[in-house]
Amino acid sequence: MATTLAGSAADLRADVREAVRDLVLVLADSKRLLGFRYGAWILGAPELETGIACASMAQDEWGHARLMYALLKDFDEDVDRLEHARPPREYRSMEVLDREPDDWAGVVGLNALADTALSVQLAALQRCGYLPLRQRVEKLLAEEQYHRAHGMAWARRYAAATPAAREAFASVARATLPPLLAWFGPQDGRGALLANAGICESAPDELRRGFLALVAPVLEATAVAWPVAEAVPLELDGFDEVRRRRAGAGEGPDAETITRVRGDRNRDFLLE
Amino acid sequence: MAGLWAALRDVMDPEFPITIVDLGLIYDVRRRGDVVEVDLTFTATACPCMDFIREDIRERLLREDGVGEVRILEVWSPPWTRARISAEGRAVLRKHGVAA
Repeated sequence: MATTLAGSAADLRADVREAVRDLVLVLADSKRLLGFRYGAWILGAPELETGIACASMAQDEWGHARLMYALLKDFDEDVDRLEHARPPREYRSMEVLDREPDDWAGVVGLNALADTALSVQLAALQRCGYLPLRQRVEKLLAEEQYHRAHGMAWARRYAAATPAAREAFASVARATLPPLLAWFGPQDGRGALLANAGICESAPDELRRGFLALVAPVLEATAVAWPVAEAVPLELDGFDEVRRRRAGAGEGPDAETITRVRGDRNRDFLLE
Repeated sequence: MAGLWAALRDVMDPEFPITIVDLGLIYDVRRRGDVVEVDLTFTATACPCMDFIREDIRERLLREDGVGEVRILEVWSPPWTRARISAEGRAVLRKHGVAA
């Protein structure tokens, strides 16, 4: 770990600064899209209470995105452009957030698996050598504990339901795990740089193991594919480390999604 | 500084019937000449009342003698928890049927 804390981005070595900026943007974009996905199911959830949970989780994710985008001012980024003027192909959100889930099992997959992967990455920043990021992480993780509890509770419900329901979640998990495991990146790339610079506490392989340990109980219960670590191929050939996407994963969210996520049609009412 | 803290006790939370000081949102207040700096946190990262609270703080402190500028710094560490609500704040919330 770093022996000194960087109080601002200017105190970071140039290559580390670039990698931290990219990581913050990955987190900001992913949380923005995840909030949008949760938000779309407020009225489509199976129960009123879980629709309200979707509203609450959407609110949290947008709050987290707001904090992450704001942090990019410290990197001399034009935050207004990042938030409101980037084309979809420049978004760095997780692959699994590109499309709206087809059904509730898909939402549970995002909640139990993708949201957990994001929190595993955040948790590894609790002793981050870049102070402004470190100071935000604890609050984000405190809010995230409820997301995980909700996601895992629903995954267990699928596991205990009919074979068809169990298979619906298993199918989502089988499709979601390869991009999520790849999302942590190659062991010897930027992840190693961030770990060696004292930014991230763990290198990618350790993050993957931590993620799998958290989601293993529900995957095992739904008989997705076990042991997962051996069964899920790690698809890192041609991996884009800046956008954290697999080769051939597509361009990202479509233009209509980005228009709605950015609130383009309401731009005239923006007060800030 | 006591005067500034007392002034901040005039600022109510927009959602709960207690002051932002009793809610534990103010981490520090400093004065340098005519500039006052306030370290402010929020109960949640997506608090919908952030702008109201900032504006209310600014408006109230600018009414203090000799204050020409108010700078509000958003802080998240340590994170706000219910443990930051004062005893007085808890009593008021209880009276309104809110457990804290």
